[in-house]
Amino acid sequence: MHLRVGGFTIRVAWSGTKPRGLHLAPSPAAAPFLVDPQPPGVIPDVVIGVDLDAAPDDGARECLFDSGGPWRLYRHDEGFLFRFFASTFGARPYKTARFAPDFSRGHITLHPDFFAGAVAVDPLEYPLDELLVIALLGQGRGLEMHGCGVADRHGRASLFVGQSGAGKSTMARLWTAEPGAVILSDDRIVIRRHGEEVWMYGTPWHGEAPLASPSRARLDALFLLRHGRRNELHDVGGAAASARLFAASFPPFHDRRALAFTLEFLEWVASRVPCRELSFVPEAAVLALVRSSGPV
Amino acid sequence: MDNDANGAKRPYEKPEIKQVALRPEEAVLGACKATSGGGSGPGSGNCRTPSPCSGLGS
Repeated sequence: MHLRVGGFTIRVAWSGTKPRGLHLAPSPAAAPFLVDPQPPGVIPDVVIGVDLDAAPDDGARECLFDSGGPWRLYRHDEGFLFRFFASTFGARPYKTARFAPDFSRGHITLHPDFFAGAVAVDPLEYPLDELLVIALLGQGRGLEMHGCGVADRHGRASLFVGQSGAGKSTMARLWTAEPGAVILSDDRIVIRRHGEEVWMYGTPWHGEAPLASPSRARLDALFLLRHGRRNELHDVGGAAASARLFAASFPPFHDRRALAFTLEFLEWVASRVPCRELSFVPEAAVLALVRSSGPV
Repeated sequence: MDNDANGAKRPYEKPEIKQVALRPEEAVLGACKATSGGGSGPGSGNCRTPSPCSGLGS
């Protein structure tokens, strides 16, 4: 299967013999991001092989990062290795994924004990798909934001940024009632530089709404979300904007160069796109305030 | 940098440190996202993969 997320095309296929009765399929939220295979000679951004193997030795070297949750990252002779854990399965990983240093090639090994009886499997299933895209973006190509992205019927595109509880899904639901509005995501948005413009992409990793679209749009405005007692806008610029955007982003924290790029990228984004704090109450009137806001 | 639009030197402003709160568990995908209703988490939909989720994050 081929997926296209954040402008990256990712090919996933069995390596070697396909297991009987088990086929590859995207998770429901990732299904809209399936694309046709690219023409011969066009190489996807990432090529990944998959197999089922108990993998007694996955080649992990030192641990580079422990999420404290379902995944850990290790150094590997070929580049990097992720191990994925489930509390119900104890210390054994149910899946490993190793990648070349530039993440252009990879291999996923599914532990057969954990997939017994399954008829369909998405080897990239969260959080691997998101970790992969974050790693690709960290190589000077962009950033994933904790945000709700909307393009209105006039083509004006806004990104509403905030941590959990800030109101992203609430804002997304308000926009769903607006004719012609396209919600790219209610929770995760990829932003990338195209020339002197910032573009945003929908992702499969939706929030509570749940809304996810494979569309993209040129970004016109950034809003730092917070629930308030009335609808208000305040300009935020410079370092304050960069810092608050960083606090609602998903850089690869284990990668010093990626973090340096991320800070530079956000400084550039904040210099190109008007950034405002938006306090709001959950009512449609806030959309008029957003629409009426012009350049800073 | 130190001059305004008219070329006059701007008054000195003492640098100010403002803290921005991070949420480590969210930032590093240390928790699972919502898995119900066709969500993107493991164990959702027709993919009968094991669910590593012990908590939810968005």
